[in-house]
Amino acid sequence: MSAANLAPITATDSLSQALKANIIPNQEYLLQGSVLDSAVEVLLHRLRGLCDNVDAGTETFDDQEVCFSLRDPNQQAAPLMLRVRKALDARDMPFQLRYIGQPDLGDKSRPTVVRSSLDIACSGMLIEFLNELGCRIEFEYSVKGYMFRKGRMKITVSKVFKISQSSMSPEPISQSYLVELSVLAPQGQDAIGEDMRAFADQLRPLVQLDKIDYKRLGHMS
Amino acid sequence: MKRGKATIICEVKNGSYSQYPVPENKTGTYVIELLTKRILALGASQQGQFLVDCESYLSHPQMGTTKTVHILHNSEQPASVFSILESGTKNIHVIADGLFDLLMMKLSQHYTSKKQTKIESKGPRFELGDFCVKLGSVTMNQNFKGILVEVEYRPCVMANAVWGLLREFLQGLLGPTVPVQPTQHLMSRMNEIYTPIDTIYQYLEHFSAYRKVTGMRNN
Repeated sequence: MSAANLAPITATDSLSQALKANIIPNQEYLLQGSVLDSAVEVLLHRLRGLCDNVDAGTETFDDQEVCFSLRDPNQQAAPLMLRVRKALDARDMPFQLRYIGQPDLGDKSRPTVVRSSLDIACSGMLIEFLNELGCRIEFEYSVKGYMFRKGRMKITVSKVFKISQSSMSPEPISQSYLVELSVLAPQGQDAIGEDMRAFADQLRPLVQLDKIDYKRLGHMS
Repeated sequence: MKRGKATIICEVKNGSYSQYPVPENKTGTYVIELLTKRILALGASQQGQFLVDCESYLSHPQMGTTKTVHILHNSEQPASVFSILESGTKNIHVIADGLFDLLMMKLSQHYTSKKQTKIESKGPRFELGDFCVKLGSVTMNQNFKGILVEVEYRPCVMANAVWGLLREFLQGLLGPTVPVQPTQHLMSRMNEIYTPIDTIYQYLEHFSAYRKVTGMRNN
């Protein structure tokens, strides 16, 4: 039998091979910050100077995100959160289904937040699927802004809007822009955190990117 | 939308050959070899092997009405995971990239795999002009359950337009007495554009039927 006629490898086998070789980007390294609307132009200008994907003008995006939760049937663990993103400006693109685990801030020596993450492109009836699966919609919002790349790093500068019920233009939730610096990488590539910290330092006069602890924010409100 | 090609999957029922009845003590390998010989004699060439597998997950009893998530893979679309959620009478599908399998692991508290019903159809894949033919032996938990023959007519994207041709082709290959019926799913999609998920639904219907019977199907 020729090599071409060998049995195809099963999906389970190729997945466990990929897991063993540690090539699945399932960790997100993340830094966040914000800038006031009045200061965003200066930051965008700086990013255009620093980043890779600027030759054909600044890349924009306009997404809607719905966050679902799936409660643990044994009531022991925290609910599982799943997020669905749909591009409003490119409607024929697939949905992005995202699982994000609990953020690990680590100690002071760790440069970024690390959280487990699965990014899955999906088509079909994803919203109905998740509803029937037992997920409940927690909240939704739309997010509009700019996306930059610098090597493996992704920088987004975006504004978050409430979903408007009527045809009125969506209402922004604040007078500032959310700035995120992130990298998706396989487990154990902690060196990327240092690169991110160095890049964040280059933006420091304009925006302060930090490890944001959501638990502490929760106590403040 | 990604277009597929009109495909039909037909079950070979043991003993239904008028000319070449499968002896009681013969295995699926015998039937596959027999059909391989026939299709090669028609001028087909073997182009690799194929594999379609299905694993089903049941919802945790605490979550209310039992729901089943079927996860299927098809070697013809190696980068995709097909997921069909069965909830009452409704079927909802999602086509995702390979990481969806990892998500199912994350959901292991909510949905548990019925490992003993893991089922697959695998075997040689042939091309013959505009046709692509796959001879699959179906095994569940390593137990042989039967044979599924898939025939795809590649120039056509609507099942209704090519139904007669597919039936004639299959009966030419398997024998004129073999009944060729569209599955329930295909019946409702005869006039729609055929996509890869339609093939998956056909396999799922056949797999579900195999799971219901114990041992080998004899009629």
